Formats: sequence, structure tokens, C-alpha cells
Amino acid sequence: MTEQVLSPQGQQCLQALMRVWFEFERQLGRVPLLQRLERGQFSKADYCQLLLNWRQQVIEGSRWISRSASSFERDYSDVRSTIIGHAREEHRDYEMLERDYVAAGGSLSDIQNAPRNIGTEALHGFLMYRAGQPNPVDLIGAMWIIEGLGQKMANDWAAQIDKTTCGDGSFTRFMRYHGANDDDHMQKLYQLIDRLCQSPAQLTAIVRTARVTARLYCLQLEEVEHEY
Amino acid sequence: MSVYITASGHFLPGPPISNDEMEPLLGLVHGKPSRLKRRILQSNGIHTRHYAIDANHNTLFSNATMAARAAEHCLTGSFIGKRQIKMLSAATSQGDVVLPGFGSMLQAELGLSDIELHSSHGICSGSMMALKAAFTNLKAGEQPNALVVASELTSRLFKASRYEAAGTALDFNAEFLRWMLSDGAGALLLETQARGQCFRIDWIRSFSHADAYPVCMSVGYPTDSDHSQSWQDYATYAQAEAAGALLIRQDVRLLENIVKLGVDGYLRLIAEGRVQPDKVDHVLCHYSSHYFRGKIFDMLQRAGVGIAEHKWYSNLYTRGNTGCASIFIMLDEFRRTQSYKTGDTIVCMVPESGRFNNAYMQLTVVEA
Repeated sequence: MTEQVLSPQGQQCLQALMRVWFEFERQLGRVPLLQRLERGQFSKADYCQLLLNWRQQVIEGSRWISRSASSFERDYSDVRSTIIGHAREEHRDYEMLERDYVAAGGSLSDIQNAPRNIGTEALHGFLMYRAGQPNPVDLIGAMWIIEGLGQKMANDWAAQIDKTTCGDGSFTRFMRYHGANDDDHMQKLYQLIDRLCQSPAQLTAIVRTARVTARLYCLQLEEVEHEY
Repeated sequence: MSVYITASGHFLPGPPISNDEMEPLLGLVHGKPSRLKRRILQSNGIHTRHYAIDANHNTLFSNATMAARAAEHCLTGSFIGKRQIKMLSAATSQGDVVLPGFGSMLQAELGLSDIELHSSHGICSGSMMALKAAFTNLKAGEQPNALVVASELTSRLFKASRYEAAGTALDFNAEFLRWMLSDGAGALLLETQARGQCFRIDWIRSFSHADAYPVCMSVGYPTDSDHSQSWQDYATYAQAEAAGALLIRQDVRLLENIVKLGVDGYLRLIAEGRVQPDKVDHVLCHYSSHYFRGKIFDMLQRAGVGIAEHKWYSNLYTRGNTGCASIFIMLDEFRRTQSYKTGDTIVCMVPESGRFNNAYMQLTVVEA
């Protein structure tokens, strides 16, 4: 852990984002499905249901990131490059997720035809709206939450899911894959925080978007168990 | 009204026990040496600790006796005698008896009359809760002084016979704490008047997160259980013991959360303006293991609120991890052996993994 956010403004932003993240982890700790995962009372069917609900967000994820890149003006062309690179790396991740779903016993047509759940709808709507604003600096807050969750999946959830479902890692590839590129992604994120958080107003906006993203992400996970 | 820590004391039973002496004293489970011991000791970094039991598993000092010894040690260095003590606030994770409260047993052992009493129950943060109860009582003008005592006698849980009674297999989570925890007691005297050079308590705050996390350290659940049944739900205590429900366990997988939550609380206190990282002169943190010290360091550093390594003080490595007594034993040794000057700021942190309660305190060195 040698990477540092250098400017005082960036440092303050990082402190606030860490607190938002810790709060988000506590929110996740109150989601019944994830509580059952923690306790080891989590079946393969639960896992499939989770992936089924997750897929839409993963697909939409690359869309809002791409859109936000196009909303950055000339002064931010360096930021645009970073974000385009990131979107390009991840925009077909959902295919890996679909393969996991099938490997865990789900049918491809089921996951491909599943609609967005209510939480995904809200999260997607919010992020697409923010991404369309000129120079959407605040979206660094959303990336913080989503990148952090990738780490959490890779470090905590994947192993626990395999343990409770007697898996051998063959259907948790999507979750594990996120761990592999983590350090690189986090390093880029720290650089972006330093680059994009240069005023108190920007700090407030970044933290607010992180909090909204966290809350709506949680809603999406709460909705996994709601069937209509 | 200000509240000051005007005296402190400790009691550590028997001689220091080295890593090699531990297992002969606690006993070989099923006659076999532990395969985890070396790994766990390497990670926690503890070299010596104390036990209130001997190799024949006789209890040489009860928990209440140890607490009383620490309290007497504290009063030896104070300006007041037992007769003037107005409040006793006591903490332990497990008293010698299930009932009555530990405070009552300690009061009798100490021979304190007509006092106001408080017992706090928990794990590592229990002492801080006991301290806060006394602190607020004094601050509200209810009493002029309070004796706060924390004591732990966990070694009784680590006797080989206890593990043998719980069956054949010994799981990692049940064995983990055997190589972590040991016995001891610490005491602080709080007064509303400063005496010589002493510590003013600026504030005490804690954040508990039991609603968001599963149980991480426990006594009372059987081996591999879904926590629907506790030791009290068995027909006999013998059945509970056979089911492993009387073993002390740590869910090691959840333990890392303590670092994040510890840092979270610290960042909150900074945001509230209570802690100013550049003004902190000494940090006393009850990290249970050397392993976590590095993790806490890294995360604070990353957030840009790191505190230089030379400002951190701990006696974990020589006195052991004595649960809720640790922070008092640490503060007492700090007072007696470390150099500090009037005006210095001391921050104490006690992250508890039981079900994640983190307590913090700030002290300022003052001169009466």
C-alpha cells in the first residue's frame, strides 16, 4: 500500500470516501441475502438469483462509464482517456457472468431475458443522468463504490460462495476476476481523485454521488429476493 | 466539570510465561502438541504473558482477587483511601460466578462501603464502557471520584480438559484464542480534581456495529452451529459442553473487519473535529495482534491521517492480550515508564471484535 493521494483536497476526499465505503459495507451487512451468505446458509439457487439480478447492472455499468467519458470537455481529455480505457476493459464482463450462471446450473435464456430489478433501474437511471452532465467529476464517487465492491466480491464473497455451495471456483470466475486487476484499478482511481477533486464543491459532489450510488446499489441487492 | 485519571495500577498473576512454557501449562489436548500454536504466536507477536492458573490447573487468583489487587495497587499511588471511594465501575468478560454482577463481587473483595456500583459486560471494550459510565457520572457532578477496574481470567477456558470434553476434533476457530489471550487486571482512579501531573479525560466515544455484522468472538454456541441454540438450551450443562458450546471461539474470517471499523471510527472523530491527527503525541491502541498493527498503520497512512510509528505505545508483547484489562494495563505502564509532558495529547483506541464495538478516548496531560 504505497499509493498516496497527494493534494490536501484529494486526501480529504479520500477520507470521506473511505467513510462512505465503510458505511456501505455496514448497509450490505444488513441485507438478508448477504447475511445468509455470511452465515453459510446460501444455496446455489441463491447464487444464481444473485447473478441473474446482477447482470443488468454489469451491462449498464459500461454504458454509463462510456457516456461519462463523452461528457468530459477538452480540459479533461486526460481523464477521458483513462475512463475510455476502463470502459473498454470492462464492457463485456457480463459475458463472463453469464458463463458463471450457466456453470452454476442456470439457463442462458433465463438470465438474458431477465428484466432489471427496481434497484438496478434506480441505480442505472441515476448514473446515466449524472453521466450526461457536463464534466461529471462526481462520478468518481460512483466508481469508488463499484470498484470497491469488485474487490469485496473477489476477496470475500467468491470464496464464501464456493464454500457454502461446495463449488470448486468454476462458477465464481466473474467475482474472482475482479480481484486480479484490482491494484491497477485502485491506483488509477487514486490518481483520478487527485485530478478531479480540486475544490470543496467538487468534494461535496463526489461524496454525495458515492453515497447515492451506495444506497441504490444496496437497494439492488435487497431486491434480489423480491419476485413479482 | 473536568475529570482526571489521577492514579492507575495493575496486577499480572505469577511469573511471565514464555511461548515455550504455554502448552505445558495449559496442557496437551488429547496428548498431542498443537499444530497451530507456532503460526498464531508468530502472527500476534506476543513473547510473554501471565496466567492465574498453574500447570495442575489450580486457580491461584480468582478474577475478583486479581481485580482487587489491581485496584489496591492503584490506590497505593493515589491521594485517597478506600473509605473515600464513592463509585466502583467494573468490567470483565466473565466473572468467577455467573451471577451476581462482577462489580458486587469485587466490591466485597476490596471492602468498599456505601459506594455507587456499575458492572459492564462485553469483551475488549467492556473496560471503556465501564470507564465511560464513571466518567459521565463524575462529569454530571453525581460523584467526586470513581475507581474503574477491568480484569480477565480467560486461561480457565484454555485448559486441555475443556477441549477434550468438547470432543475429538479441535477446529481452528476454537483453538485460535488459546494462543492469544491471557490473564491480568488494570485499574484507574478518576477524580474531579487534578493531582500533580495527571491525565484529563477530554472525551470517550464508542461506535457499535452489531446490527451490521455477525458474531465474531463468542462463548455459548456449539461447534458448527447456526446460532439457533445456546449453551443454556441444553438439558444439562454436560451436554452443552460436549457440543462445544462452552468453548471460546473467534470467527477468524470476520476478524479483518475490525481494522476497517477501527479506521472508520477514527475518521469520524476527525471529521467531528474531536481528533486532530497532527496534534496527537501518543497512541495507545489495543490491537489484539501484531498482525493488525501493520494493517491499521497502512490504512491510516493511506487516508493521510497516519501517526508516526514512534508515537505508538503498546505492552502487548510482554504483558499479553488481557481482553478488556489490556488498555488499563497499557495506560498504567505508559504512565509509569514512558516520557510525556504537560500538554501532550494521548489517544486510546479499543477495537472489539466480539460483535464489533470500537471505543476511543482522548487524554491531555495536565499539571495541577
